This record gives sequence, structure tokens and C-alpha cells, in this order.
Amino acid sequence: MSLLKSQFIFENAWPCMRPIILKLLKQEPVTQAEWQDLFYSVHQVCLDEKGPPKLRDALKEDIMDFIKQAQQRVMAHQEEQALLKAYIAEWRKFFTQCNYLPTPFRQLEASLRGKTSTSMQKKNQPDESIVRKLMLDSWNQSIFNDIKQRLQDSAMRLVRTERNGEVFDSQLVIGVRESYVNLCSNTSDKLEIYRNNFEAAYIEATEAFYWVKAPEQLSLYGVEKYMRYAETKLKEEELRAQKYLEPNSASVQLLMERCVKVLVANFRTAILAECPRMIQQHQTEKLRLMLKLMDRVPEGVTPMLVDLEEHIATAGLDDMMAAVDIITQDSEKYVERLLDLFRRFSTLVKEAFDDDPRFLTARDKAYKLVVNDSSVFKLDLPVRQGAGGTSLIPPAPIIGTIASLGSGINSKPANNNNGQPESKCPELLANYCDMLLRKTPLSKKLTSDEIESKLRDVLLVLKYVQNKDVFMRYHKAHLTRRLILDTSADSEKEENMVEWLREVGMPADYVNKLARMFQDIKVSQDLNQQFKEQCRAAIADSINIKILNAGAWARGSERVTVSLPLQLEDYIPEVEEFYKKKHSGRKLQWYHHMSNGTITFSNQVGRFDVDVTTFQMAVLFAWNQRPLEKISYENLRLATELPDPELRRTLWSLCAFPKIKRQLIVADPPTHSPKDFSQATKFWVNQEFAIVKNGKLQKRGKINLVGRLQLSTERSKEEDNQSIVQLRILRVQEAIIKILKMRKKITNSQLQTELVDILKNMFLPSKKMIKEQIEWLIEHKYIRRHDNDINTFVYMA
Amino acid sequence: MGDIEQDNSERADGENNKADKLFTLKKWNAVAMWSWDVECDTCAICRVQVMDACLRCQAESKKDFYEKQDCVVVWGECNHSFHYCCMSLWVKQNNRCPLCQQEWSIQRMGK
Repeated sequence: MSLLKSQFIFENAWPCMRPIILKLLKQEPVTQAEWQDLFYSVHQVCLDEKGPPKLRDALKEDIMDFIKQAQQRVMAHQEEQALLKAYIAEWRKFFTQCNYLPTPFRQLEASLRGKTSTSMQKKNQPDESIVRKLMLDSWNQSIFNDIKQRLQDSAMRLVRTERNGEVFDSQLVIGVRESYVNLCSNTSDKLEIYRNNFEAAYIEATEAFYWVKAPEQLSLYGVEKYMRYAETKLKEEELRAQKYLEPNSASVQLLMERCVKVLVANFRTAILAECPRMIQQHQTEKLRLMLKLMDRVPEGVTPMLVDLEEHIATAGLDDMMAAVDIITQDSEKYVERLLDLFRRFSTLVKEAFDDDPRFLTARDKAYKLVVNDSSVFKLDLPVRQGAGGTSLIPPAPIIGTIASLGSGINSKPANNNNGQPESKCPELLANYCDMLLRKTPLSKKLTSDEIESKLRDVLLVLKYVQNKDVFMRYHKAHLTRRLILDTSADSEKEENMVEWLREVGMPADYVNKLARMFQDIKVSQDLNQQFKEQCRAAIADSINIKILNAGAWARGSERVTVSLPLQLEDYIPEVEEFYKKKHSGRKLQWYHHMSNGTITFSNQVGRFDVDVTTFQMAVLFAWNQRPLEKISYENLRLATELPDPELRRTLWSLCAFPKIKRQLIVADPPTHSPKDFSQATKFWVNQEFAIVKNGKLQKRGKINLVGRLQLSTERSKEEDNQSIVQLRILRVQEAIIKILKMRKKITNSQLQTELVDILKNMFLPSKKMIKEQIEWLIEHKYIRRHDNDINTFVYMA
Repeated sequence: MGDIEQDNSERADGENNKADKLFTLKKWNAVAMWSWDVECDTCAICRVQVMDACLRCQAESKKDFYEKQDCVVVWGECNHSFHYCCMSLWVKQNNRCPLCQQEWSIQRMGK
């Protein structure tokens, strides 16, 4: 019976189903009963074998009919926007129904697929519903294919009017896009139709729009306004694209690439041409904008970096050159100026480029150039030609690691020609440090925090100094003076500074030596105390002793002979005897050129306390036996036994001490330089000597004639710079050996890189120096060239 | 102070007192450097200058080795000198002077 009945199931059911289906298509209200009936009918039909295809065909016909009517409604509109509106309205309706209508036909779909098991159904659920596909395909084939070109064109026209500033219902464009996306029946690439039509058209239209607009804007308003225009448009287009283009696809990105090309890349040269001027004029807002634009273009930022570097280098050097008279004389002004430049450039980089790392690197690179430039000042390191080492003093204190290389390497190396002038910056930095750490008008004027921040500034600049070894040498010399003359403004700060130097990566052996000097001073103070407790009160009152570790303090081994005033001479054995009791196995060397004291000088004007060096003391005491006599240079030399250069220098400091009105010693004939003293030049004590303060003569008072305490003799001063070079040679050798010991075999270029890396905290080795030292090491069989490749070196154990 | 006056009066012609002297010493800050009284200033064992702490001491407390004053020098009967730290390790393996091969016995220690 069921069989009989079933033959007519579809025919029976369809008349009931059809009106409901039509209602659904037209989005007319459907009662719940009708909705449920539809489910039942579909079920019924599907029970019949032949039912499903019949139902499908009937359904298709109805859908087609509906679409045809819709098409007619849409096509009734001739005017574009009206057409678009009508289409969108119909499409919306239809599309909504695409989601409802298929529901009652689930079973139909299942039977059409020939699978009824529930598990399969579940599995197939993600599949596009057949009815839905039927609906969309039909729509696509009939209505959309017919008018899609028109739709697309008018959508693009709408977007264009929007670009020109008119407002319209964006849903119209979005609707067209949705049609494209949803109507695609290619399941593997749903966006295919959309991409080939809508996206392509959109991008092309955008490009065409700006292709005309952009050059127009640029020529009308110039680069600066154009940049703003481009930036705004890029933002606008991005927002617009997010609205009109399919999200979750590459569309927006694709569009933006094209926009950047047409808006920015095409005018890259014109825009970048403005960069140097903007940097010069510190136009941070504009630069910021430029960076934003150029960052979108490949290789866009590089020219900006170059411009920044050039600007910093030129502006920095020009600035230095403009003030060359002041800054070469005054290390405070020099450092302040350098810091000022640094701050200026840093502000620029911060404000214009948001501290972008690429720009920071450019700043560092260019600033380094300014700091190390040698056109403002030169520190001439000696050039040695030919056979080296004959006149050399043994290289000043060489630290353990170097010595550990072996005595062979420790001996004097071959000639070096590192005669390139170097910037005086490290020396001036060290001088500035000294001014901050010593008791000076500057350090007294500043608060503790200010000094600290200025010291930090010094470290900041120091970071850019290539030849840090020069700084270290001067810094150590200054520290030595401060400690020996006891002129440190703040010992805590002194020790902090040492730690900071360690923190910024100064070589440990150097920093350790500085720290050891502080330790040594403390030890020496205790020793002095003990000495005073043990010896005669008379001596204790008039002598302080500093007995220091030669390893940490000494600079070269040179001593100067001097015939001390008897009174001083008498103290020496007592000190030595005391020291011998305290320590054993030690020998003492007196450093009279570093020692100093206070003497009382009385003449007809008054009595004065004068701080003097021991050499000055030796000279002055010569007059004690004959206060009013004129003594010739020759006789002073005999009396003091000072070497000629030292005597000249000492006498000069007594008769031409800077900044005092009345000198202690008078020379006849007067001279302009210590070199002009002849053997016969006469000297006498100025009985008119007095301290002049504010134009008034003082009868009492204290004056300091020590000046800058001399740490080395005239001769060894010349050798001082020599020893910098000397030490550099050893450092290069040491570093080469270190690297080869580790690598066993290394190419020339890699060796150079690693060398610079190891040595950069001390100095920048010149190519020439490296080459010479490699030759020296090869000659002395520390390393050899590789048999097959002369540019590879091999370690020889 | 009295002593100076005495000195002055002794050295000058007797009746001059201190005030009449042209220059009188008030204070002398004498500077001297000490170093180990050695013939070779490098320790043959660690190759570091004897005035510096030995390599081991430097490595042990990189930061505050300078505070230790105890890396001293030792002299053998042969008059060769080394860091005491270096030598005391050396003699554990070989009780001879590394330079002259004489049997090692300590002549004196630095202090």
C-alpha cells in the first residue's frame, strides 16, 4: 500500500509545499504550522525513491522564477545608483533566505547525496548545502552575470565620489562585494570571483585615481604638504579598504602596497630631497611624517640615515671649528660643547624619529666621527721609522697578561709607523674629569648631584672615543696628582668614578690599578700615622710620607737627581729605617719630583706660606745662606744638582708663575721662555714679593706655586706618547696571539674583525699597525701563514 | 718645632731667629715608591710582574684583589724570587727552583 501511495507522494505534497516555499522566497511571513508542515512534507517526499530529484527540480524552477522576477524588478531601474540600490535590496533579501530556505530541505539534501546515516550527515554538515548552492548558483547565472559589470562599475564610481568627498550609503558597495564573495561556487577558492573582478577593479580604480591626483597635489602644494596629503590618504584608503574589501583576505594589504607605490614610492626622490634641509632646520614633525612614509618603501629610510649622518658630522665639526679658539684652550668648554652637540642630535633623533634604532645607530656613527676627528685638535703620536727600539725606555708598566705572553714578546718589537694624528678629545675629557673631581672653582660651584651627572656625561662621550687608552693615561695621571697633592674634592666620588669606568667596559687591569691606588693611599695614611707615633716629635710635625706601590703608580723608572735641602736630607734615613722595620724585601725609591711641601717665606713686606714642589724648595733654599745675593744659573745648578731641563722649568715656575702679580724670584735679564736662561742669567729673591688680592697688598697669606704637579721629567714626557704607541703594539700582539690560540687558524679579514672587537675598549688599531705586528709575529715564529693560502694565519705553539 | 728652630740657629749664624730666615720649612710631603727588591721583576711561574698580584690571585677575586696585600714575594736561597702563591704550588710537585734547579729553600719572605 505504501508502495502505491508513494508513487504520488511528490505530486500530492508539492501543491501544499509550493506556496510556503514561495512565501519564504519572498520573505513573506510563514506561520509555525506552515514551517513545520514543510519539514514533514520534505520528509514524506524523501521516503519515495523518485521524490528527491523531482522535488529538487521543482524547487529549482521556483527559485529561477523568483530570481527572474527579481531581475525584472532590478532592471526596471535605468539610473545607475537606483539600479545598484534595487539590486542590493533584492540581493539582501535573497541572501537572507539562502540561510533559511535550505533548512527544511536537509533531508532532501541528505537523500540526494544518497547517504542517510546520521553520522555521515554530521560529517557533511560543513559542506555547502545543496539547496543553498542551488539558490546562489541560480542567482549568479541569471541576474548577477547579466549586470555584474554594471554593478561593479557603479560601485567603483561610488567609491570615487567618496574619495572626492561625497557621502553615500556604503552598504551599496559592500553589497556588491558580498555578492561576489558569496556567489562563488568554487569551493576550493571561494574568493576567486571576488579577487578577479571586484578586488582587481577596486585596486585599479584606486591606483588610477591617485595616479592623477598625487602628482597634481605635489606640484600644487610642494613636498611638505604633499607628505601630509599622502599620509592622510594612505590612512583613509586603509580604512576604506577595510570597509569595502573582503576582510580576512590579502586584499587590504595588496591595496596598500599599490597605494604606497603610487603615493610614496613614485615620489621617493622628490620627498627625500627635502630630508637634509628638514634635518638641518630641526623640523621634527615633518621628519616624523617622512619617516612614516619612507618606512613603507623598500630602501626608503636608508637615504634618510645617510642624510642624518652627514648632518651630524658636518654640523658637529662646523660647530667645533667655529669655536676652535675657545675649546682648544678650555677643556670644560670643549666637553660641554661636545655634550651639547650630543644632546642636540639625540633630541633630533628622539623627536623626529622616535629613537628608532636605525637612526640611533646613524647618530652614534656620525657622533663618533665628530668626537674622534683630528682636524680640530691633534695629538701627534710619534712616527718611528727604520730600526726600532734603540732609544726606547723599557715599556712602562706592562700588565700581567701581556707579560704572560712570554718574555720574547715583551722585548722591543719592530718598528711602528702609526703616525696618524689622533683627536685630542680623550685628553680633554680627562682634563674635564679632573676639573670635576679636584678642588677647583668649577667643582666648588656645582652640587654633588651636578658633578655626578657631569661625570656620567663624560662617560657617555667616552663611549664614542676610539682611543680610550689615551683617556686612561691622562685620567690616571690626574688621579695621581689629586691623590698625591690631596686635592680630591670628594673621595667617594673618586671611587665611584672608578667603578663607573669599570661599568662602561674599561679594561679590568687598568681599572684595578686605579682602585689599587686608592687602597694604597689608605695604606700609606696608616703608615704615616705609625711613623709619626714612633719618631721624634720634631720630625713628625714637619713631614708626611707617602710610600706607594710602584706597580700601581710608577710611570717609567726614571728618577731625577736633586740635592735636597739639608733638613730634608736628614729625614730620609729615618723614614727608610722605619720602613725597613715594617717591611722586608722591599726597596724604596724617592720620587722627589712628585713630593712637595709648604715653606714660610719672610721678606720686608711680610710672611707668607708658600706651597712648593721639592724642586722649587731645593732652588729657593739656596738663598737661605745669602738672602740678598744674586745667584747665577750656573751656581744654582751646582747647588741643586738638578738636570738642566728640570732646573729651567723650576726656575721658570718661580719667576713667571701664571696669574700672580709679583713673582717670588726675579731673573736678569728677563726672558720670555725657560729656554732663554743662560748660564750667566742672574736670579734673586724678590724682596718686594707680596700677595696681591683685589689690588691690595697682603702682608700675610698663603700661595700655591706647585701648579700642575709634574709626574715625569722633561725627557720622559716626550717618551710618554711614545709609550702609548709602545703599549698599543704589545696589546695588538697580545690580542692576535689570544685569537690565534683559540682559533688555531684564521683568515686575515676575520682576524681584523676580532682584533678590533677585543681592542675597541682601548683603542682602534690601524690596519698598518696590525699588518706590522702580524709580520713581527710571523718573523718570531709565533704564527705562520697557511701553506695554501697566504691570507690565513696558523698558530704555532 | 723647637727642633727646627734649633736646626736653624745651628745652621745659620747663631743669633738669627726663625723669623729672619728667608725660607723655613713648614711641611714636607715626601713621596717614595716601594718595589720588591728582586733581580727579575717578572715571576717566572705565572709570568706576571711580581709587583702585581699573581695570575691566580687576580683571577680569584677580579674585583677586589687589590685589596689583598698578601700576594707577596718569596726569595729562595738561590736568590731567585717568585710570587709566594705561585711558589707554594710549585714546590708541591717539584721542590726545586724553576730557574736554577737548586733545591728550594726559602731565604726570606716579602712583607
